[in-house]
Amino acid sequence: MSADLRLTDVAVGFATREGGTHVALDGVDLAVPSGGIVALIGPNGCGKSTMLRAIAGLLTPSRGTVELGGTPVTGPDPRIGLVFQEPRLLPWRTAAANITYPLELADWPGDRQAERLAEVADLVSLEPVAMTARPSELSGGTRQRVALARALAMAPELLLLDEPFSALDALTRERFDLELLRLGERAATTIVMVTHSIAEAILVADRVVVLTPRPGRVVADIPVDVPRPRTIEVLDGGIAAGTAAEIRSHLELAS
Amino acid sequence: MRRGVVLPVVAAFVVFVVVWKAVVVIAGYPPFILPPPESVFARFVGAWTDGTILPHFATTLLEVFLGLAVGAGLGLVVGYALARSALVERIVSPYIVAAQATPILALAPLIALWFGPGLVSKVVICSLIVFFPVAVATMVGIRSVDARLLELGRALRATRRQVLLTLEIPAALPSILGGLRVGVTLAVVGAIVGEWAGADKGLGVLVNLSRGSLFDIPLMFATLLTIALVGIALYLVVVLAERRFVGAR
Repeated sequence: MSADLRLTDVAVGFATREGGTHVALDGVDLAVPSGGIVALIGPNGCGKSTMLRAIAGLLTPSRGTVELGGTPVTGPDPRIGLVFQEPRLLPWRTAAANITYPLELADWPGDRQAERLAEVADLVSLEPVAMTARPSELSGGTRQRVALARALAMAPELLLLDEPFSALDALTRERFDLELLRLGERAATTIVMVTHSIAEAILVADRVVVLTPRPGRVVADIPVDVPRPRTIEVLDGGIAAGTAAEIRSHLELAS
Repeated sequence: MRRGVVLPVVAAFVVFVVVWKAVVVIAGYPPFILPPPESVFARFVGAWTDGTILPHFATTLLEVFLGLAVGAGLGLVVGYALARSALVERIVSPYIVAAQATPILALAPLIALWFGPGLVSKVVICSLIVFFPVAVATMVGIRSVDARLLELGRALRATRRQVLLTLEIPAALPSILGGLRVGVTLAVVGAIVGEWAGADKGLGVLVNLSRGSLFDIPLMFATLLTIALVGIALYLVVVLAERRFVGAR
């Protein structure tokens, strides 16, 4: 079941080589309701990946709290699924064994692993022939599908995606965006996605959060009032154009 | 082996034997300098059927296996520690390099003195010589494990043991097997050197016997052939393991 995400006054600093502190993220507040889809957008170096990693518990904020479903996230958390920019599959395992890898680490019995494998493979529309193939034998899109299935394997309450489709060609990317939209509903999970494509953000998200760099801050939180179910045509509509213009104006101020 | 490969391999072997024979005939070497191939093969078959080689072969093979197990096992453990701890590397690596830089031939008599003329001294020499390539290959392999995969492991809350078994070892396996390729051939060298430093049985002893008191040069060549075959067989085992575990990536 999906859960709500709340960031309160989150700051992340890194020690620099000169002995100072580089503030990557400062005073970030964000609330995502259960089942919501939020896109984080901003120029390079605005701290959006840092923010995602803080939410994932992969790095500890120097200030502030991250809460999922009312309980704090203090480290890597089984309630959170993660999709990286690159598929990050284990090259020596088949697609199926990559998907069940998190279940294996969590000591699930074999029959339940097989059951869950079938469910998530269906969820991400992975063709059965791909299951026994190694990552090197799969297309970039199929690899990212496998990575998505792996992230969903533990039935996460929150799915985090870090520019997950940026390596795919434009058409495949749009198809993946629309699939992700439906996936969020079927898998019953809250979604936070980092992107630097305005079109992708509008197509997928309920809300677009704009970040600016030095230090990373939230400057705008823009609702996307495009009705669902969405198709690729919504991008040509007036609402989308207005939203895009609004996002762009904040991004231009930022850079 | 694919069928297209068999023919060139056989052809190359035939060429090798023909050249060998030609050298003997043209240069007119007496059998105690370079015996012709047919007499070496005849002696090889004879010495295997009459039981001359077998006990020596068994002794050497045992030394090689034990030396490999100890040397490669230690190499894996130490190589891992070297890769994961800068402190361990600073402290330990000078000794490892020093031990490797000292010729094993110079160390063998000392080791024979310390551990006696029996099995133990050969296993020590053998493992000493196997240790280095395996340790270095393990260190390099573990260090080159993709940091992004380790981060994935962290995100999935893998335990130390799970990281080792499901990420580090599989990722480092090609490198480790590369070190093992070198290691298995050196293991044979180690056993023979150990036997030369003092032993009463083993293929190294048989080489010395056939050259010296027996003065049976074809037998010496037959023994050398046996030693080479042991090395080739072990090497092939590693290659097959590689094909099984790494080839499919």
